Amino acid sequence: MKNIQAILNIILSKDIFQYIFIDKMYRVVDISDGVGAYLAKSPKIGEDILLYLPELVGYESEIENILNGVNKSYLLESIDINNHYINISIEYYNDETIIILLQNITDITNSKQKLLQYSNESILLNSTLENIINRQNALVFLTNRDDIIYANKKFLDYFDVDSLVDERIDIYKYLDTPIDSYDNLFPLVDDKEIYISIKSDTFILKATLIESSHKLFTLSRVTELSNEKNIDTLTGLYKKPYFISYLERNLDKANDYAVIVIDLDNFKRVNDIYGHLAGDDVLKEFALLIKGNIRADDIFARWGGEEFLMLLKNTSLDNAIKKLEQIHAIIENHKFIHIGELTASFGITNGIEGDTIDSILQRADNALYEAKDRGKNQIVSRKV
Amino acid sequence: MIRKKIVILGDFSVGKTSLIRRYVDGSFDDKYLSTIGVKISKKSVDTDSGSCELIIWDIEGNTPTKSIPLTYYKGASGAIFVVDITRSETIENLQGHIDRFIQVNPDAHYIVAYNKADILDDTQKDAFELDSYSFLTSAKIAQNVDILFSRITQDMMI
Repeated sequence: MKNIQAILNIILSKDIFQYIFIDKMYRVVDISDGVGAYLAKSPKIGEDILLYLPELVGYESEIENILNGVNKSYLLESIDINNHYINISIEYYNDETIIILLQNITDITNSKQKLLQYSNESILLNSTLENIINRQNALVFLTNRDDIIYANKKFLDYFDVDSLVDERIDIYKYLDTPIDSYDNLFPLVDDKEIYISIKSDTFILKATLIESSHKLFTLSRVTELSNEKNIDTLTGLYKKPYFISYLERNLDKANDYAVIVIDLDNFKRVNDIYGHLAGDDVLKEFALLIKGNIRADDIFARWGGEEFLMLLKNTSLDNAIKKLEQIHAIIENHKFIHIGELTASFGITNGIEGDTIDSILQRADNALYEAKDRGKNQIVSRKV
Repeated sequence: MIRKKIVILGDFSVGKTSLIRRYVDGSFDDKYLSTIGVKISKKSVDTDSGSCELIIWDIEGNTPTKSIPLTYYKGASGAIFVVDITRSETIENLQGHIDRFIQVNPDAHYIVAYNKADILDDTQKDAFELDSYSFLTSAKIAQNVDILFSRITQDMMI
């Protein structure tokens, strides 16, 4: 028994526990010396404990249950009192008295508070960043070693999936170029803008290396950038200034490429006979038809009126002509709304070192005029 | 004097501590400091039904990974649920807070504070649909803070 008393004295001297005895009327019966440090002011014998520990207000029924022996104790954890964190333990002593043990847990709670602060700030920052990313006019996804580890809400919504945990979406499969992984897609896209058609939309695909291990891909829907990228509102094609600007930016970098000027034959008669609205429908249909038969990263633009521009990349002139012959045949065999048949004339040329925008467009345009002079509905090439 | 326990509940960082500080001390601090556990403040209030001492429990906010113990709710006569109008998830979580509180205190009164309203312009404020138990509040500019506590105290004293 002496040992227990000694242990209790040591515990009390370490400022770990303090105690208050109260009676049924909440009056203080006995108190340890250090209580004042916890409660700012030490209650006196006979005083109402609720004046000093308002934390007990509302727990009258729990205290009653302890006095009646229904429960042995009740614990209120982590109460911030007078710059201390205290656990308040209400314990049965006898039928007339209960003990309130005040356990000082300040040190450990301060440590927990720092962790909680860090955690909460991280959650808030993460939430803010998530909101920013989800509001971007782009679909974002991040890969590491070909695993998709993050996709924003716009990306998930566009592909109509809840997450990419069970469902893998491989953007590179929408390109004509045979690519079998995001790791292989990256060098193709890195530092460039790749045009990619997904479903019925065209996107600009960009890639950024993050921390040497992660690759961030962004998809910006071209239709949402119509003003910025000079999209022709009638056909959805690029306007001439964008085509010129793109060609200018890529003339030096490009390998083999071909530039084509296209003119719809006798289109003035379409407008005169069927009206301008019907003419607009035909232009839209023509644009869709051609877009569906060229590669996603080829550039197709409306020069104006019924004239169009096309850039076929990474191809020899001979292969470009073969492609054009296919397109020519597709147009000839297509039944257009309102008018049925429609033909077009094509002028094509290859790009060479030292070419300027004017020189290359002039050659293609000359070829087009020759096609017209020869009776329309044909392809004329200018090889240099 | 009658003592009434009131708990302030809601997600973390919605401004519970700031509302109490504004109401009790008339002060405001922009710096966010997470509350851990509970801190109790007292304020004497005169109502139509007499005077009372409010025992205001500032309770640690819920986080996605941590719920607060229901023992804190025991014996409360009322609650103020606080949401942050700039964070939609705190509004989505509101009903969950109310349900947990009512489960412990089925007869208690409660009221809702849509906090950080100083961010809204007048048009946005007008567009906010509130019932008679909800207030747009701002601890920062002391908007509707006194009326919020006054209203819930009146209800608790009836």
